[in-house]
Amino acid sequence: MQTKTKKKLSENILDKFSIDFLRNQVLKNAYGNDDTVIAALDPRILLVWYLFLGLVPWFVNNLWFLMGCFLLVLVTTILARVAGLVLLLFGVGVFTQTGYLLVVSLFFGGNASTVVPLLILTLKVAVCSLASVTVFSGLDPDRLSNGLMWYGCPERLSFSISYAYRVLPMLMEEFQNILLSYRMRGNPPEHESFRGKVKYLIYQVRIVMHAFYPLMLNTAKRSRTTVEALEIKGYRYAAVNKSVKKMKLSTLKVTYNDLLFLAVSFLWIALSILASTLF
Amino acid sequence: MNIIEIENLTYSYPAAASPILRDISLQVEEGDFLAIVGNNGCGKSTFCKTLNGLIPHFITGDFAGTVKVGGLDTLKSDVGTLACKAGYVYQDFENQIVRPTVLDDASYACLNYAMADYKERGREALALCGLEGREEDYIWQLSGGQTHLLALAGAVSLRPEILILDEPIVQLDPSHADRIYGVLRKLNEQYGKTIIVIEHHTEYIADYCKHVMLMRDGGIAWKLPTAEALRRVEELLACNIFPPQVTLAAHRMRREGRLPKEQPLPTTVAEGREAFRRLRYRAVQAATGKTADAEHASAAQAAEATHVSAAQAAEATHASAAQAAGKDVDAGHVSAALAEGGTAGKAGSFGESAVRFEDVSLSYRSVKGEDRLVFDHLNLSVRRGEKVALIGSNGAGKSTLMKLLAGLLKPGAGEIFLNGESIQRKKTEQLSRQISLVYQNPEEMFIKDTIEADIAYAMQVRHLENCRVRTGELLERFRLTELRDRDGRLLSGGQMRRAGLGIGIGLNPGILLLDEPTANLDIATRKEIMRTLSDMKDVTETVMIATHDMQLVCEWAERIVVLCQGKVVADGTRDEIFGNRAVTERVGIRPPEIFTMGRALHGDALCYTIDEFIQSFQEA
Repeated sequence: MQTKTKKKLSENILDKFSIDFLRNQVLKNAYGNDDTVIAALDPRILLVWYLFLGLVPWFVNNLWFLMGCFLLVLVTTILARVAGLVLLLFGVGVFTQTGYLLVVSLFFGGNASTVVPLLILTLKVAVCSLASVTVFSGLDPDRLSNGLMWYGCPERLSFSISYAYRVLPMLMEEFQNILLSYRMRGNPPEHESFRGKVKYLIYQVRIVMHAFYPLMLNTAKRSRTTVEALEIKGYRYAAVNKSVKKMKLSTLKVTYNDLLFLAVSFLWIALSILASTLF
Repeated sequence: MNIIEIENLTYSYPAAASPILRDISLQVEEGDFLAIVGNNGCGKSTFCKTLNGLIPHFITGDFAGTVKVGGLDTLKSDVGTLACKAGYVYQDFENQIVRPTVLDDASYACLNYAMADYKERGREALALCGLEGREEDYIWQLSGGQTHLLALAGAVSLRPEILILDEPIVQLDPSHADRIYGVLRKLNEQYGKTIIVIEHHTEYIADYCKHVMLMRDGGIAWKLPTAEALRRVEELLACNIFPPQVTLAAHRMRREGRLPKEQPLPTTVAEGREAFRRLRYRAVQAATGKTADAEHASAAQAAEATHVSAAQAAEATHASAAQAAGKDVDAGHVSAALAEGGTAGKAGSFGESAVRFEDVSLSYRSVKGEDRLVFDHLNLSVRRGEKVALIGSNGAGKSTLMKLLAGLLKPGAGEIFLNGESIQRKKTEQLSRQISLVYQNPEEMFIKDTIEADIAYAMQVRHLENCRVRTGELLERFRLTELRDRDGRLLSGGQMRRAGLGIGIGLNPGILLLDEPTANLDIATRKEIMRTLSDMKDVTETVMIATHDMQLVCEWAERIVVLCQGKVVADGTRDEIFGNRAVTERVGIRPPEIFTMGRALHGDALCYTIDEFIQSFQEA
């Protein structure tokens, strides 16, 4: 059993958990769910909603209120159909932050007095994370950056967000090919014994690091054309032209659905507050 | 009316010792379709960048003379104004696309220049470029050809009077290339746009362009009407430009006194029909005998070079002799394409199988909806020593097949055998002694900072004794000794390919896979790589090339496998494939122009090279 897990661990890094898979998940996360309820909402509304759920839980210690918030963001996360990888990262993240403490304290005879504070902390972290996941992966990057721009974030930031998503798949594919070059020509240590497996793991991590160097150089080479193309396409003009910003933002519209979403969230939060005062 | 007027333009890049453009004066009429040809590094791209103001506004340097585009002096206008006069599509067009969705990218420039109707302009440009219906698609859903059309649409959306394209079809298969030029012709004829292309494919120039301009050492040698320009065969060849094969054949025949001197050289197949009409077809038998001999020799040498045992060597020679004999039987008559079982049966008892696919299926994950099925029960086997060309349109699965073989992808179902052993449970690293894959994009093969280190890498990490010697030999063989300390990425296209080949055969693999070895190269470099590939025949055993380059296929391959929608639809010798109209039409294969010329003159003619054409067609 133990050897099996070990084997899996060392082989999975490059095999099952491939760059191809990562690339697919990134794309899925960014653009694969543009037909969900969350994706159709106005980004400005969602950003306000996020501001509340991202900040307020830190200042409240009431279990009922936090539970209410948690249920709310859980529902929105499900509605946003977030990609599996992101949820996994979320799970691992929360657990390594505080969740393990909760388990450990339960294990070593902790009672309600130790468990409750830890549970509260875990809930706080979970609410913030899930709210971020809903907003940043439920919205496609363009709508998100338009929303940020409306609140006065510089145009460059919002362009960078959507451009990053544009080049990320390309970069990952190229990175994958470079890694494959290493695999085809490299000579990894044998990995039958335990020592071998550790060595193999180290070897793989080293290769991943080495592969960044050619990736950077290739990217630098490509970006020459991109920079010239941006100049021709008037990127610099747009940055100083107010009317361009107005045109970009004119696509944003608050609809009936947005108000409904806000109203439901508001009602739910109010109910949780009510519950927290009653119990 | 002249839309471009240039007087005494001289330009040098910052910190360059000598000017790259020298004293250029030129007029281009409105509505022209102009091709710019010239040697590598003669300043074609630089010249085009002076037209849209990138030079001198974005790229500085020493600029003298005047350039007027659509009546505007480029020195006095800014890049934005000029972009609305002259649109530009780069050779590496995919880097020109900056937005994630199709309509977004097409209308991006209009939005940036604050045009209120930017969306309509984008839609209109997409429709003009034949991309209607794809507006909401993400750019990674487009094929290479469609991506190019999108880059063009991005330029067209500003409604410029001039469109400049740098090597538009160099990365595309013939059907996509036709589409691009079809769109350009429409823009030129119906919408009155002036089109300027930098182009090496003279067959396309002959079919589409109105004028040709030859650049030499930063100056303009001449600008002439297309037919007249392409007939200047010797001048073009001196600049490494290859006129259409029809023109070259006629030129040689005229030199040998077989065509009258006063008759103008043909530049297209239609003109060739007239020019060659007095010649009679004579089937040449000697050629096949010669290839059989050559194969004998090469198989023996290959065996020697790879140090296989004597018995294997004998077998290998046998196999290729048997193949050659098989070819003799087939030569001349057009048979239906053989299923791969048939070929195997013919020489099955001689050749050992090097590669075998058994019912292999594979699908790619897709971002949305169903996974895309690439292979559905693929069966294919390749015997040791064969030189196989793998052809099929973009997206037919050629690269995927190679990645499967190299162990970089695992099949969803079915099994793959390499030299009789299943590769299911093997790691990629274990396969590298047996098989090697050279990528389409050589930059992805450079993992060290000098090409010497790159070629040595695989041998070094395996602690081979003669690593240094062998690296030296490989550098010598691919004429890279002087460049050994350079980073691979900074080499020219041809040098990069040669370095890639050197890396590929470093470990002396029995099976060599080459993915598009001649793509993205200008024709002169392509010829050079084709020569290198022929030279390599004696040091490699089994070789498989995936390619769109039919000249390469015809001159190099002994067996051709045609992939279409994840299945092998035809498999056989070049006569069996190109002689079979049903197959070529179904898959959209375009044989070399000289082959089409031969066929147009005589239904049975099968000439793949200019030499064969000249031998086959004699005076009556």
